Amino acid sequence: MEKRLIKKDALAGIAKKMAGDFLVWAPVKKEDNVLFEPLGSEEPFFSYLNSKNAPKNVFFPHTETMMKFTRTQKGMVFSSEVNASGGAVLFGVRPCDAHSFALLDKLFDQEKYKDAYYIAKRQNTTVIAIACVKPPYASCFCTSVDGEPVGQEGSDILLTDIGGDYLAEFITPKGEKLVKYFGDAKADAAAEAKKNEIAAIARDAIKSKIPAHEVKPILDVNFDNPFWNTIHGKCLACGTCTYMCPTCHCFDISDEVKGADGVRIRSWDSCMFPMFTKETSGHNPRSSQKERWRQRAMHKFKYYVDNFNAIACVGCGRCVMSCPVNIDIRKIVEDISKL
Amino acid sequence: MQNPYIPYPVVVDKIITEVDTKDIKTFRFKFVNPEDEQKYAYIPGQFGELSIYGKGESPIGIASSPTQKGYVEFTVQKAGVVTSALHEMEEGEVMGLRGPLGNSWPLEFLEGKNIVIVGGGFAFTTLRSLINYMIYGDNRKRFGNVTVIYGARNPGLLLYKDELIEWQKRDDLNINVTVDKGDATWKGREGFVPAVCKDVAPSKENAVAVICGPPVMIRFTLPVFFDLGFSKENIITSLEMRMKCGIGKCGRCNVGSKYVCKDGPVFTLAELDKLTPEY
Repeated sequence: MEKRLIKKDALAGIAKKMAGDFLVWAPVKKEDNVLFEPLGSEEPFFSYLNSKNAPKNVFFPHTETMMKFTRTQKGMVFSSEVNASGGAVLFGVRPCDAHSFALLDKLFDQEKYKDAYYIAKRQNTTVIAIACVKPPYASCFCTSVDGEPVGQEGSDILLTDIGGDYLAEFITPKGEKLVKYFGDAKADAAAEAKKNEIAAIARDAIKSKIPAHEVKPILDVNFDNPFWNTIHGKCLACGTCTYMCPTCHCFDISDEVKGADGVRIRSWDSCMFPMFTKETSGHNPRSSQKERWRQRAMHKFKYYVDNFNAIACVGCGRCVMSCPVNIDIRKIVEDISKL
Repeated sequence: MQNPYIPYPVVVDKIITEVDTKDIKTFRFKFVNPEDEQKYAYIPGQFGELSIYGKGESPIGIASSPTQKGYVEFTVQKAGVVTSALHEMEEGEVMGLRGPLGNSWPLEFLEGKNIVIVGGGFAFTTLRSLINYMIYGDNRKRFGNVTVIYGARNPGLLLYKDELIEWQKRDDLNINVTVDKGDATWKGREGFVPAVCKDVAPSKENAVAVICGPPVMIRFTLPVFFDLGFSKENIITSLEMRMKCGIGKCGRCNVGSKYVCKDGPVFTLAELDKLTPEY
């Protein structure tokens, strides 16, 4: 694996140099928040904790055109829209969010049904992660869900702050193609040893832990447990948890028409919404917020495990921090483990 | 890479109003690009997404049989936004069709067995596909006795009336058509589907029951088949759920670890017992 050392203050310059050659998504300060945005003239902001929103929108935008159509005398003509021209770089995501891409790949890039829109963007985009040498938040729990604060899963390049320098590890061939932007300073064994030391300290610094791997067999047999009556009482069904979540991927498909022209779009949807499963007949298989919360917990900690042998949670803690009524997925998993 | 979200353009070739109430029609589509018909190779029990631009898509079971070449048919009740727009369409108009989607009736499992088909009301469409498939040419030899029990509320609500008459003329089919209540011209059987099933009493020996209908019919029909000795492995049905993508990604037809669109819509009762009851 190719490894380089780069000066810490060189990072913004590298991102901006890349931005001259292709689309670069980088963390940018927007008032009190940090968001991933296409880098323009503004300075990228790399000394951030984590971005307000998960960067999944780079591959799976809030709203995305699937096809265009035009009304004609005899119905319609249409054309497909898969936009993936040129390469792109997602610069500076946290390892938990990079991990989420590996999880989303399992769903969108299955053997039989391939999601052309997601895959086109994913294949054309190089993911550069910046390791969490200190856990950004007290609510971070990545180590409970197969994550590492200094972890490579889902990244093409991993940058780790080892003191004065960043150690840049070029993990995949896609990452190696960008090595020329990172200077000539080869990393030595000492830099690697330092990184491993930092990684171990960072892992131990994650204090929030949940029994995520223990709950799958419990969920297998507790679909009807009265416990499910106890979670949703204060839930507002606002869907914030699912919108903030790096691994939530449910979507709606709808048509928008203006005059003779129209588009078919997909947009994020949420299992927290009553309309999500409501049928034309009026029947709703998940008729109350109880069923919807059970679905969310089951989907992350049982169904995804059944289907892909992976928990659909990366421990970023965004849902914990963002829920307006303080529903805490960590507490829910803890409680399930005691059923 | 074939983009599974993009429909094939199809032209509405023929519209048949199936019922007296005029709210159920069969739409026969021909592919605008003839080569698309090959790509749309389907098996009875699968469904398609009918796509009307500006309105959206609706998942509907395929009512024709793959043995019927040159077109594909869907029988659709007018209900929501898309199906209402579909009912307004005229022959010659162009719209979209995605699929074929979902698993199918398990043809290999059904081969060599006696088949009992039970349908109620408007849920007869993919069963019709299966019947037409089984009786087509040499296909008929691959299946044992075929018993059909099909009911509607009244004679005017029976689908595929001409085909029912043709099927009744065959000596290799046992066709039992019933209505809840007849009218002045009705000379056939009267009675609810579960009662007719009890009366016809198909043998469980080497037999599989394929049952589709409204929930109330299913609820009262299943005990009849249990009494006849059919096992849950040998009773098959098809689920309906709200769907969008049809390929197991958008999340709304997720029932337990399965997606009705991709892992279903066809399940045995034994399989349904293992699913969570969220459908």
